[in-house]
Amino acid sequence: MKKIIYILLVPVVILISSCEKDFLDKAPIVGTTEGNFYRTGDDAMAAVNAAYASLQFQLSPEGHFRWFWGDVMSDDTNKGGSGDNDANALLKLETFQGPTNTGLLESEWGADYEGIYRANVVLEKVPPIQMDEKLKTRILGEARFIRAWNFYQLVTMFGGVPKADHVLAPSEYNMARSSADEIWDLIESDLITAANDMWKRSEYPSADLGRVTRGSAQALLVKAYLWREKWAEAKSMAEEVINSGEYQLVPDYADIFPLYGENNEESIFEIQYMNASGGNWGKNNSNEGSFTNVFTRARGLFAGYGFNIPTQDFIDEFFKEGFEDPRLKSTVFRVGDEMGDRGTFTIEATGGVPYPYYSKKTFDNKSETAPFGDPNPNGGTNDRVIRYADVLLMHAEASYHAGDENGARTSLNLVRVRAQVPEITASGDALLQAIYRERRLELGLEAHRFFDLVRTHRAAQVLGPLGFADGVHNLFPIPQSQIQATNGALSQNPGY
Amino acid sequence: MNITTMRLGILFFILCSFFVAKAQHQVTGRITTLPGNEPAIGATVTVKGSNAGTIADFEGKYTITIPDDHSILMFTYTGYAVVEIEAGIRKTIDVMMKESISYLNEVIVTGYGAQKRSDISGSVSTVRSEDIAEKPILRVEQALQGRTAGVQVTQTSGSPGAGLTVRVRGVGTINNSDPLYIVDGMPVENPDYLNPNDIETINVLKDAASSAIYGARGANGVVLITTKGSARNEEGKLSYDAYFGVQRAARLLDLLNAREYAVIQNEAYVAAGQTPLPEFANPDALGEGTDWQEAIFTNAPISSHQLTLTGGKEHSSYALTGNYFSQEGIVGGDKAKFDRITVRLNGNQDLKPWLTVGNNIGFTWFKRDALLENTQYDSPIVRALNIDPVTPIRKADGTYAYSNYSDTDVANPVNAIEQTNDEWRSNRIVGSVYADAKLGKRFSFRSTFSMDQTFALQRIFYPKYDLSNLPLISEAPAAEKRLKNQVAVGNYNWRNLQLENVLTYTNTFNEKHDITLIGGTTALNKRDDASGGANSNLPSNDFKDAYIGNTIDPIASQSSWQTANESSLLSWFAKGNYVYDNTYLLSATFRADGSSRFGKNNRYGYFPSFSAGWVLSHAAFWSVDEISFAKLRASWGRNGNDRIGDYSFTTVVSSGQNYVFGPNETITNGSVALSSANPDLKWETITQTDIGLDLELFDGRINFTGDYYIKKTSDMLYAAPIPLVAGSAAPIQNVATAENRGVELSLDYRNIEHTFHYSIGGNISFIKSEVTGLGTGGEPVYSGTIQSANGKASKTDVGHPLAAFFGFVTDGIFQSQAEVEAAAFQNNGTSPGDIRFKDLNSDGVIDVNDQTYIGNPTPKISFGATGEVEWKGIVLSAFFQGTQGNDIFDNTVRYDFAYVNRPSSVLDRWTGPGTSNTEPHVSLNDPNQNARISDRFVKDGSYVRLKSLQLGYTLPSAWLRKVHIQKFKVYITGQNLLTFTKYKGLDPEIGVIGNNLELGIDRGFYPQPRTVIGGVSVTF
Repeated sequence: MKKIIYILLVPVVILISSCEKDFLDKAPIVGTTEGNFYRTGDDAMAAVNAAYASLQFQLSPEGHFRWFWGDVMSDDTNKGGSGDNDANALLKLETFQGPTNTGLLESEWGADYEGIYRANVVLEKVPPIQMDEKLKTRILGEARFIRAWNFYQLVTMFGGVPKADHVLAPSEYNMARSSADEIWDLIESDLITAANDMWKRSEYPSADLGRVTRGSAQALLVKAYLWREKWAEAKSMAEEVINSGEYQLVPDYADIFPLYGENNEESIFEIQYMNASGGNWGKNNSNEGSFTNVFTRARGLFAGYGFNIPTQDFIDEFFKEGFEDPRLKSTVFRVGDEMGDRGTFTIEATGGVPYPYYSKKTFDNKSETAPFGDPNPNGGTNDRVIRYADVLLMHAEASYHAGDENGARTSLNLVRVRAQVPEITASGDALLQAIYRERRLELGLEAHRFFDLVRTHRAAQVLGPLGFADGVHNLFPIPQSQIQATNGALSQNPGY
Repeated sequence: MNITTMRLGILFFILCSFFVAKAQHQVTGRITTLPGNEPAIGATVTVKGSNAGTIADFEGKYTITIPDDHSILMFTYTGYAVVEIEAGIRKTIDVMMKESISYLNEVIVTGYGAQKRSDISGSVSTVRSEDIAEKPILRVEQALQGRTAGVQVTQTSGSPGAGLTVRVRGVGTINNSDPLYIVDGMPVENPDYLNPNDIETINVLKDAASSAIYGARGANGVVLITTKGSARNEEGKLSYDAYFGVQRAARLLDLLNAREYAVIQNEAYVAAGQTPLPEFANPDALGEGTDWQEAIFTNAPISSHQLTLTGGKEHSSYALTGNYFSQEGIVGGDKAKFDRITVRLNGNQDLKPWLTVGNNIGFTWFKRDALLENTQYDSPIVRALNIDPVTPIRKADGTYAYSNYSDTDVANPVNAIEQTNDEWRSNRIVGSVYADAKLGKRFSFRSTFSMDQTFALQRIFYPKYDLSNLPLISEAPAAEKRLKNQVAVGNYNWRNLQLENVLTYTNTFNEKHDITLIGGTTALNKRDDASGGANSNLPSNDFKDAYIGNTIDPIASQSSWQTANESSLLSWFAKGNYVYDNTYLLSATFRADGSSRFGKNNRYGYFPSFSAGWVLSHAAFWSVDEISFAKLRASWGRNGNDRIGDYSFTTVVSSGQNYVFGPNETITNGSVALSSANPDLKWETITQTDIGLDLELFDGRINFTGDYYIKKTSDMLYAAPIPLVAGSAAPIQNVATAENRGVELSLDYRNIEHTFHYSIGGNISFIKSEVTGLGTGGEPVYSGTIQSANGKASKTDVGHPLAAFFGFVTDGIFQSQAEVEAAAFQNNGTSPGDIRFKDLNSDGVIDVNDQTYIGNPTPKISFGATGEVEWKGIVLSAFFQGTQGNDIFDNTVRYDFAYVNRPSSVLDRWTGPGTSNTEPHVSLNDPNQNARISDRFVKDGSYVRLKSLQLGYTLPSAWLRKVHIQKFKVYITGQNLLTFTKYKGLDPEIGVIGNNLELGIDRGFYPQPRTVIGGVSVTF
């Protein structure tokens, strides 16, 4: 019997020593691991494209549309939807009874940090790659812009946040909040570097249309300076954009928002979407379509969900000069209007939901929806984040504060002339108020209003009747789940 | 694999060269039965420990050649106790066979061996072929339902071919909890290919001591399936079994008709301060309207034909079976049809006196057409329950109509069924070949090579259609039309290879010490490939033309994909059984598993187990004559769950993180690692302790088995949420823990002594399970999305069962404005008629902090019971099965849409003070959120079901012998004839969707049919 035992043992020993390693070492067959990626220029491009992809996030997993925060929170629109229960948390936030634990804010927080992580990966993995240096520099600039943009969203919504300026190790996950100033400093330095490293819009090949450019970084920098009330810097940076000759106002305001107006000569930073088919609901990592179209279209015949409903107060603003501001008809639908090729807007056709107005800037025609698959997540309308008109108005505001009322009026009136409304001749505070008002009209329903009110210290006055408390609602609450997840390393904003 | 194959193969042949032969003489005799003294026709006589054997003739006579004087003759006859006689030098041996009903001598297949039931010290449950026969079941898991204590089987859908959830001793993990299926020694991923009629026995290894020999794969229990073969020395038999039947829905829901619907809608408008729709001004004019349930439910056929050929000679035996099975769905008919053809050949042959070779090879072809099911969004059933009754099925011109009221998801379900074309065709071969070598008297060596190969093709076609009244304008909502057709196909190629070598040593010392030692190795390699593609805009709108190549669009509209996965497992195992004097039982097992799925730092797992038993009834002091057998058992063991994904330890740079660039909107690839790596990743561990008692009373008339166990899961894989500041998903880690405790009892009584035979039996399982840890900083997991409440119904947290229902607690209906004002603040729009929710934290506001646990979807008790009476060939048998103490979350009504139909319970709504304290008033906008997740939707899911009832008649064999028929039986079987439950939905048996955190939520489940079949069974 011993023989048998030996015979059995010998191959077992051989087995253990020789083939076990090959047999048990299995790496993924399809796909790449971090170990064998980041070697070529194509890899670098794929890495920065993944950072771009994070710009498209809108439901990850819950809604955190830019217009939630910029428009619904303001006096320009109400939540809408099928009733109070439809995204009730948004109603609570809108009426400043803000819960601290909504998935909406958590999703915003998570999506911003996912964008920051992806940009950080580019900034860490791309520099050692052997590739065209000019292109590499541009890619790094684009990554810095995307990081700055995400931090910009975080700091304007939450104030100081954890400064994740590199890919975090697990030991760093419980990072405490930095001050808002530290975050603003990071944003400024990233944008200054990005403006330097990226190419001018006209230098990009046409296949790269949609990438952020030097002008995007400069324009976002103007915004950052305005928030910090660095008027002189804002003014001169805005002038860099103006004098670059890269941008100009589209002659007809009505041509900006239709599909054919995407990436036009007025576009400075625009998040790209297309009506690709087959996207899914949920964390839309690989989805190229926008949910904004379906969310903001009327219900019923118009196959939407009817969110972001303009208020009467907003509509009234367009009539305050004694005539109807021509921009109104490009901004909202009113009862009786034709909603593109989808039919005539009547209350009955919207399924009886009694909303008299809908946003027009994010409307898409039926003929423009995804040809098959679920059209809902596949709206094609780009998100116009920064337009040249915005830069002109920012320039006007900065110039006013820097003491250059003439410069302020010139920029303001460029916008007004294009809109076919009379030029402004006012000065002093009336001029400033005119600039503010012009932002509401020109940039209405483009997710600026709430942040403009907070930034210019007018929120308490305008939104106070709606429940806004100064010193509290200037910032959103830090998502409670994140305070818990970090064992309290994150502090809550005052008042929540 | 190649090196392994070669080395083990060489080893096998070396070992095969041992063998010993001996001398022989002849024995004759007559076998009779007691009582009756009838000849035992067909009784088997074998020489113990060899394949030599013969069968008794019509007079009960036999002749057999025995190898030597020490040979032991074994006489077996179905229904009678086995007799063993040492032949000695005798030439004539007559035997009286005594009727026996004891299972103690039944040989039970255990991990890598077999044991007499009386010698087993672990916990093993058995289902036999007679429990499976003559029932309209499609899958093997259905045969387990209610039959064995501790094994909970839940039908996840009544659609033909849908999978079932099988949980052995509760759910040990939030991840994959499916047991390991071993069919004839081969681990198989999904037993859907098995024809239940081919199954001889199913043994479920429940405690860790029994299953630990399967190491890293045994944690969820092991189901050992043995397919039918034939004994040696058995005369050839040809059987034909067939049944035909019809299935229909057991019940439909009571929903509003058009008139009632209009009344409710009008009220809802008024409550929301709006003017009711003019077309509903006169509800009576609308009449009954459309019954959408009637429209989608249909009577559906089911049938099965089986041919079985078996036979055995002295040196060989075989079983050849063929089956055709076909079942249509009670929703969708042939759009939910399952067809299967199986062919199986099991055989073995003695090539040499010391060498036996054999095979178990099964081929299965099946085709399944599937509808969308069990989703709250767009399954035909949920649509039929929600679409308004005012809309007709068809327009005047005969084409399908769409609803003017329904929003987004709720489309015409009849049209949706017609537009569904989703076909899965699978060809699968599962087979093994083996060689068994006797190495002297005490050693045997078995080498088995197995393969499980599936080729499957899925083809889905989305036809073009448009329900618009004005096709040119195409005014119908998006869900009611598709303007471009599309075809999608997938090819799947799944392959599993296993080489296994087992050496067994058995010996008996001094007649009292029985020892069995088993050692072996197994190498397993699994490779899955899949590829597919899609194309759109096909010129033909017919499913039969739906192939990717048939398009008029340029090639650019095609898309394609491909995946590939591979994993390997290399294992060593050993087992020792020791029995002293049939009284003291000891057993130990050990297994080492190396797996490619484990991270580099944890490549090997080691899994030990121990068990012991004491047969009290064999002890000297035992004096209770009524208790003929009593055994105490205890076991402890550890095993693992390796279903953790093939590459979870690594981090993959995922492509497809795309963005759009360029004037033509070109989708451009982006790539990034979405999560971080975990080189420490390993199996989930389960440690289980079991104590049990087996009793047999009155010589087998009463059998009792009881078990108590504690099953602890550690190293449970869980992606404990990390702060979102990381920007990437959490790596999965072995951090969570859970515990299951339970008691299992089974008791049966059988009496077959007179012409009137009867038996009755039952089993019951009590279980308590909870999550005991989610790792440091582990947050509760919320699951079970309820779209109608815009929230999640289930919460998994430490100290609670998996996926327990979590929400608000209702406290009656506000009868007056004064009551609204007196209660905690709920909402600005709260009015009389709304639900009052309990202010659990007494802070005067109803908010998220007032939620609590409101139900548990896991049954506290599950049970099964059988009864059978037989008199002169007439058999009546019944089988009941059910659960107790589980809750269902009723998610069948889409309250998020204002226009959906409602259950008729809404007719008892609040309409003024004192009218109702349970059913709130209706309101178009529901400002109080009456539809929020609350105990309003949590229902008692307990049920008792008459799973099957059979009446059969077997013709007397005296008649049949004249026409050379051995057996002829006709029967009628009813399945799911009666269900006793308080639950008002279509079916109280609500399974798991996807993972273990989607439990007990009724999303309009595809109900199980009520089936009646008539069948015939003939054996020649």
